[in-house]
Amino acid sequence: MNRQTLLGLSFISPALLAVVMFFLLPVVLTVVFAFTNMSTSTGILGGEYQISESDLRRLPAAGVSDEVAEMLTGAGYAVRPETLALFAADFGKDRADEFDTLHGGATFNDRRAMERALKDLRGDPIRVVRERKAAAELFRVSILGQRYPTEAEFQTAIRELGIPEADHAALTKAAYTGWTFTTQNFELLWELPATWRYALNSTIYVVLTLAFNVGFGLFLAFSTFYLPTRTAQTFRAIWFLPRILPPVLYVVMWQWLTWDQGFISAILRPFGIEPINWMRHTATHAWTFIVLINGCVGASLGMILFSSSLRAIPETHLFAAQVDGANRWQQVRFVLLPQMRWPILFITSYQTLSLLTSFEYILLATDGGPGRQTEVWALAAYHTALSNYGGNLEYGLGAAYALALVIIGILLSALYLRFFNFRDLVAKPRIEQ
Amino acid sequence: MNTSLKGNWLLVLAMSLMSAPLVIMYGFQLIDSISRPAPGGIIPQEWELTNWRFLWEPIDSARPSIWRVTFNTFVFASSTALLVCAFSITAAYALSRLNFPARRFFLAGLIMLHAFPTITLIIAIFIVLQFLGLYDSLMGVILVKAALELPFGIWIMKGFYDSVPWEIEMAGVQDGASRFRVWRELILPQVKPGLLALLIFSFLAGWSEFILPLVLAPGADAQVLATYMNAVIADDTRPDYGLFKAIGMFYALPVIAIYLLFQKRLMNIYGGGTKG
Repeated sequence: MNRQTLLGLSFISPALLAVVMFFLLPVVLTVVFAFTNMSTSTGILGGEYQISESDLRRLPAAGVSDEVAEMLTGAGYAVRPETLALFAADFGKDRADEFDTLHGGATFNDRRAMERALKDLRGDPIRVVRERKAAAELFRVSILGQRYPTEAEFQTAIRELGIPEADHAALTKAAYTGWTFTTQNFELLWELPATWRYALNSTIYVVLTLAFNVGFGLFLAFSTFYLPTRTAQTFRAIWFLPRILPPVLYVVMWQWLTWDQGFISAILRPFGIEPINWMRHTATHAWTFIVLINGCVGASLGMILFSSSLRAIPETHLFAAQVDGANRWQQVRFVLLPQMRWPILFITSYQTLSLLTSFEYILLATDGGPGRQTEVWALAAYHTALSNYGGNLEYGLGAAYALALVIIGILLSALYLRFFNFRDLVAKPRIEQ
Repeated sequence: MNTSLKGNWLLVLAMSLMSAPLVIMYGFQLIDSISRPAPGGIIPQEWELTNWRFLWEPIDSARPSIWRVTFNTFVFASSTALLVCAFSITAAYALSRLNFPARRFFLAGLIMLHAFPTITLIIAIFIVLQFLGLYDSLMGVILVKAALELPFGIWIMKGFYDSVPWEIEMAGVQDGASRFRVWRELILPQVKPGLLALLIFSFLAGWSEFILPLVLAPGADAQVLATYMNAVIADDTRPDYGLFKAIGMFYALPVIAIYLLFQKRLMNIYGGGTKG
């Protein structure tokens, strides 16, 4: 390896490590997680083994025979040599012997029955209720609600219960509380009507906002182009601010403008218009403001890029058009606009991707409301996996939502690669040593 | 070409009307933070500083002190900016000027990453941080934010390196200096203005970041101004816009100061920006 190679690789390796950790790995993991049922209840690091009361009903569906399900249901408490030994250790051998003669070999379905049986002790009765409860617990053989940290411990427990070997595998699988691999997420996405609604919302959002961004960005660029420098600078500064203000503050300004005691309501009241929350009143209101909020940020990017490409157009073109008697509209339409094809294409392709995947401003402005009418796909992914009122965060399902966006992102950014003059970009360095 | 104000009065009028909502919002942002409007109205009634009370007393018991949160935000933004710059100056130089295997591949990867919407990875990153034990710590968010800003940083720095004339480098190599020495002593001084612009830009990006701290560090210990302000708003049953705006003002002051100081440089770099 020559020294330049060594220098090149060592210069790039820190960045490469960061990219692998926070780009490549997450992309791969998004694919993996999309095929799991990972959620808050399964945990992330793996689970335990547990059959709870409520699990019993779904056992037959999981391939466990009905008899086994019944065996798990009944026989909660049993008087057997092992349990009697436990009892003897805590409550004395005499009581254990007496209880053995009274109820040896018996089984009881619930704790009440077990405690009643314990009352039969005559020689040295257990009088305190709390103690009787503790004693009953010693005879418990049921595995319902018990947690077993490892598979081996769970299998030992079901073997002791006398569950037939044939059912062990299915029962163990059903008892696992950790996440497992599944294709359920995609079936669910396909079936849920909400999914289609989110896809439609995303389309509405991207198309409207993009139209506003490009159209208004062009308008701002052309207008400031024709204005005296000072005035142009003032307007540019006004429209540039939304881009650098922190999103949380920027959206609060809009919230103030639109809430039912805010600016719009206040100035409309003298005209007899009832105060309403202009941002959340109906879906149309919400969409209008979402497009405006995003659009004012996006239009400034268009404005900057379009302005700089306008400045690059030789002024002689404009003079020529003026001499020919073209009015301003004709100048814009036939001289300036045709030369803006590339910047427009660039902004369109670039913002399509970023709008499709961004949800920050919608989250802050309407949080998908009213109802779920402004819930776009990216926001649905966020709500499913990272924040919902139910409390059970479904990482797997959220990853499935995100996966769709990741795939679109990879495809579109590969397309984007073609926009650039790649050969120029990779021109060989001129020093070879 | 007619660029006088008089000849364009129609255009100026149209622009003013369209800019009015933004100007009104900026204006009242300032006014409302230091005054109290009439109940149900918008005209300021009394000038007062009670909206700024969050600076000297906690606004409610469960909330961390604003100074602690500001300190966190500063640490978050400046560490992110420094990391981005440190990784970008080397990687961008290698991609711009050095010959090494798979350079084409790395460049193609960089262009793709530059366009790739990183926010889609947040669910996986959330789980990666849990695995690494960095969840709910400032450290974790700093690493993630720096990594996600990195493609942009490298891209910008590569542009600055590309514009340095080859002759400078050739001369250095002719005189017998190693490539590393040429980079450090001849090329780095040339890209210093670019580096400063990237530093400022990344600092602002960190300062304004909201989603990453919200998802990756929701606890009170790692709270930054964005999540602090959002929590104050979310917890309020009756919106107190005076308070929100005062906090917002406090939060945005460094941003506005930096903008006024470095306007020209920032305009340049924002042209290649990724937001919205």
